[in-house]
Amino acid sequence: MVVVEELAKHFQDQKKNTVRAVDGISFQAEPGKIFGLLGCNGAGKTTALRMLSTVIRPTSGKATVAGIDVLSHPEQVRAQIGFMSTSTALYGRLQSREVIEYFGGLYGLSGTILKQRVDYVIDKLQIHEFADRLCDKLSTGQKQRVNIARTILHDPPVLFFDEPTAGLDVVLSQTVMEFIEEARDMGKTIIFSTHIMSEVERLCNHVAIIDKGKLHGEGTVEELKLKAGETSLEKAFLKFVGFESNYRREEVAQ
Amino acid sequence: MNPISWVYKKELREMLRDKRTRGAALFGPIFLMIFFICGFGSVIGGLSKKENLKIHFVTSSNPMLDEMRKNKVNLVEIPSIAEGEKLIKDGKATVVLDFGPLPSKVGDQQRIDAYFDPKSQKAQVIIAGIEADSSKTNKVVLETFLKSHNLPASAAESVKVQRKEVKIGEDGAGDFIVGMLPYLIVIWAFYGGFSLAGDLVAGEKEKATLETLLISPVKRTQIVLGKFLALSTVCLASSLASVLGLVLVSVLKLPGSDFMLKDGIGITPTSGLITLIVLLPTVAMFASLLLAFSAYAKNNREAQSYIGLASFVVVIPAAFSQLIGLTDAGSQNWVNFVPVLNTANNIRNALLGKPDWMGTGITVLVSGLIAAVLIGFVIKLFGREEVLTRV
Repeated sequence: MVVVEELAKHFQDQKKNTVRAVDGISFQAEPGKIFGLLGCNGAGKTTALRMLSTVIRPTSGKATVAGIDVLSHPEQVRAQIGFMSTSTALYGRLQSREVIEYFGGLYGLSGTILKQRVDYVIDKLQIHEFADRLCDKLSTGQKQRVNIARTILHDPPVLFFDEPTAGLDVVLSQTVMEFIEEARDMGKTIIFSTHIMSEVERLCNHVAIIDKGKLHGEGTVEELKLKAGETSLEKAFLKFVGFESNYRREEVAQ
Repeated sequence: MNPISWVYKKELREMLRDKRTRGAALFGPIFLMIFFICGFGSVIGGLSKKENLKIHFVTSSNPMLDEMRKNKVNLVEIPSIAEGEKLIKDGKATVVLDFGPLPSKVGDQQRIDAYFDPKSQKAQVIIAGIEADSSKTNKVVLETFLKSHNLPASAAESVKVQRKEVKIGEDGAGDFIVGMLPYLIVIWAFYGGFSLAGDLVAGEKEKATLETLLISPVKRTQIVLGKFLALSTVCLASSLASVLGLVLVSVLKLPGSDFMLKDGIGITPTSGLITLIVLLPTVAMFASLLLAFSAYAKNNREAQSYIGLASFVVVIPAAFSQLIGLTDAGSQNWVNFVPVLNTANNIRNALLGKPDWMGTGITVLVSGLIAAVLIGFVIKLFGREEVLTRV
């Protein structure tokens, strides 16, 4: 379970103006369900996930991950999460197996348990063929599989996915989404950030629309459509974030 | 294994798989040492051999030429001094000798005009050799004259300086080793990690692996310590590789080494121990300095710019250690408080067979203290959010 209450993160830009990257958001993500954070680029999704993964400290508000407070016990929180995005790369000069083992070691696994877990994820994600190949020599799809292996190696109860399919082709995206569905079925708490409507419609049990650091709507996909009075999620999303096309603006002005 | 060991092992493995580490940090110092000793040894050693000297002379039957031929000096006869000057200007002759008429009576002087380019170092060496030979001849002639007048030969040298060496400590190394080795050991302790440091933090941020690392449950201090230890290991290995290069040249007796190492390499158990003792905190100091730039920089390129500038802070005191023998500073205590110079000077003293244990202790304290402050600073830098968000 992930519980977020009035979480905010303010930065100062180069001109010393305050930028409210995340501005008092609250939501709750439950085990066995996928919680979607839907927003455009720069909406605050990554900042929110970085606060939940304790990489950056919130300016205000609070959050718990798997019942652990992110401010007071950051290391314990990090032990409970798996984090994946297309921007999280692998070490090019390490072999696939070495990368997986390395993260296993960092997550406190050792000896027989580490070996068993490494063998398990290599088997599950069919990494055998390239387990001893340097990551620099892997295809995008192979890298993605190693990335997934690294994410689930320590069997975390909470998983964060930050635009995990960005830049991937249809087949690779499908693999990632199937993996997320499988994790959900295993009872993991999942937060999935994206700007792709079709992925939200397919995966998310519950969705929060985020724009300029604030949440503008929350509910199931159907509830959001209903609230917005629109037939598609895309149109509902645009309505929630207050988007008006130039054509519409001219029409209103007339 | 604790997290520090995991980070250390991973970083070291990555570094050793990097061609830059293998080439620049490990083979580079070995190769450079071999190149220095064999290259300089062959050039300077060659100059000291008379058979390698080529001297032009204007046609003459002076008996001194026979003496030179006996010594296997390569003599080239030319018809006139005008021709000789032309050859010097064209760079085809180094020294041209024009022998004056032979002395006809006692007291007459044998005049030899030596033409050369004053900017030519080789010509200076040849002329110095000819002057030394002339002095010997003058002395023999004078002694013969004195004897023929029943005067003692010692009257030819009314003042004679007799060298009396006072031996201090163990036998030490020769001039070249004492001058160069401390400098190279210190320089490689820094340059060994030069190109790798940027990868450790700034490079990880650039390649998008840093976030994954920071999301792991490992404390940031542990990550810093793992990286610091790995970088220190490479810096130390790089520094010791230059010593290995010296040992290889000496053991394999490579060309040129006989001249450069004729006074010994000075590596004794004591000098080896002192070198290691002062090197360890120095390596820690350099590794933490390099890591600080990497943790502060936005990207690898920015880190390399800072590190490039910082290298002067290392090179200047290290270079001064080569000249310290010309001053009294080498044995003065204040040197032990100057970072980098203190390390080089302690190694120098040890190689000379004159270890200064008090100086070694002060050096270890000073370098260790600086390293501790710097590593604390790196931990602070790495703990900031900007380590990830400053792009």
